[in-house]
Amino acid sequence: MTGINGLDEILRGGIPYGSAVLVAGTCGSGKTTLGVEFLINGAKMGEACAHFSATEPSVKLLENVRQYGFFDMDLVDQGLINVFDMDVLFSWLGLDKSTFDLDDIDAIVKAITDIVNTIGVTRLVIDSATSLCYKIPNEQLIRDFLFKLGKQLSTLGCTSMLIAEITATGTASSKRSAFGVEEAILDGIVLLGDVERMGHLLRYLQVIKMRGTDHSRAKYALELTPNGVMLTPMLKWGVNI
Amino acid sequence: MIEFDTGIAEQLLEVTTTSSVQIRVGTSNSNLVIASTLLPLLQDFEMGGVYISASQAAPDIIETMNGIGIDTSRIQFIDCVSSGIIGGTESDHPNISFIDSPIMLESMMLRTLYWLESAPQAQNFVILDSVNALSIYNDERMLAEYLHTFINTYRARDVLSLIVNVPDQTPAGVLANLDLYCSDLVDRGQILIS
Repeated sequence: MTGINGLDEILRGGIPYGSAVLVAGTCGSGKTTLGVEFLINGAKMGEACAHFSATEPSVKLLENVRQYGFFDMDLVDQGLINVFDMDVLFSWLGLDKSTFDLDDIDAIVKAITDIVNTIGVTRLVIDSATSLCYKIPNEQLIRDFLFKLGKQLSTLGCTSMLIAEITATGTASSKRSAFGVEEAILDGIVLLGDVERMGHLLRYLQVIKMRGTDHSRAKYALELTPNGVMLTPMLKWGVNI
Repeated sequence: MIEFDTGIAEQLLEVTTTSSVQIRVGTSNSNLVIASTLLPLLQDFEMGGVYISASQAAPDIIETMNGIGIDTSRIQFIDCVSSGIIGGTESDHPNISFIDSPIMLESMMLRTLYWLESAPQAQNFVILDSVNALSIYNDERMLAEYLHTFINTYRARDVLSLIVNVPDQTPAGVLANLDLYCSDLVDRGQILIS
């Protein structure tokens, strides 16, 4: 169970244990909040959780999530929420370079899985996988990276969310993933975006794929409240105005 | 001294928290009818609630209600009007949240659910003021769909729903749907003489 208001009902029970899920969304669509809430809810149930931050320093991330009623700093102090900066991880691995090759990818996957193994992480978020994948020069390597990472995490019983930034324009495929390869490899795809209605943007969430579930494929309106993400079915007559 | 419509309080004795009440008002008596509805809910039944204001800005409603002796502190207002006015959202009232536009019907739903989750009272109501104001901005089919969802959502959560409308300013199809969905009717609307 993600514990996120409405999402478990949409998924008819939650994300299957050990799945690797792509959470793809446009800027401001609620990806980071969704990922953090997923971790916090796990930590509140006693699960060890890890957040790998590639887009902003972990200190800034923690500062930003303090505003939410669901966040509890004690969970960080108790070691249930563990936040890592990807840049620091890359430095530890000696990967201070602009592009990664296959060996580098293997080293990153090993470093992440070592952390997961050591701490006993059962929920993990990488925010964002897109900024990490920008350093990987071709689709085959991106596919290798995601496949290896997803497989390793699944073997360790860790359910993961890989956050991806997408643009609002483009083909149907490019609206779901930044590189066009993630969606075929990962177990699930959750799409976040905006519906424009008469000049106003309404956030929505849509589960495109979730292996092992009989999930809804409808669009749901999403609101970021102090209690976190809230979802309700989007009005059918209001989707394409 | 304002004279409340006590017939509404008597009628509300018959409803339950799963009821959905259509409140028909006229253009000149809406404040009195709404006040006469809120008073027994707050005072006699000790309920709390959410007030979705699409016809008037929430600060104005608070001022009007407080002026006639209705304590609005147990009501959370969702104001769909003030964001359309530059400077309209500058309010000192802590119990108002603003929605960008009356076309964001799902946002209204989610904000209402959020406030209901946070509500300290055991029993709550949601009052929608008003369908005819929402019909200025929303397509008839979408509005009918919203009202259908609105009633069923709160009925499932044991929250009394109250839907205000001025019948002769509400699209006929929406009005017909309200007649169908709502369990009770408080009729203080204008009578049209043709």
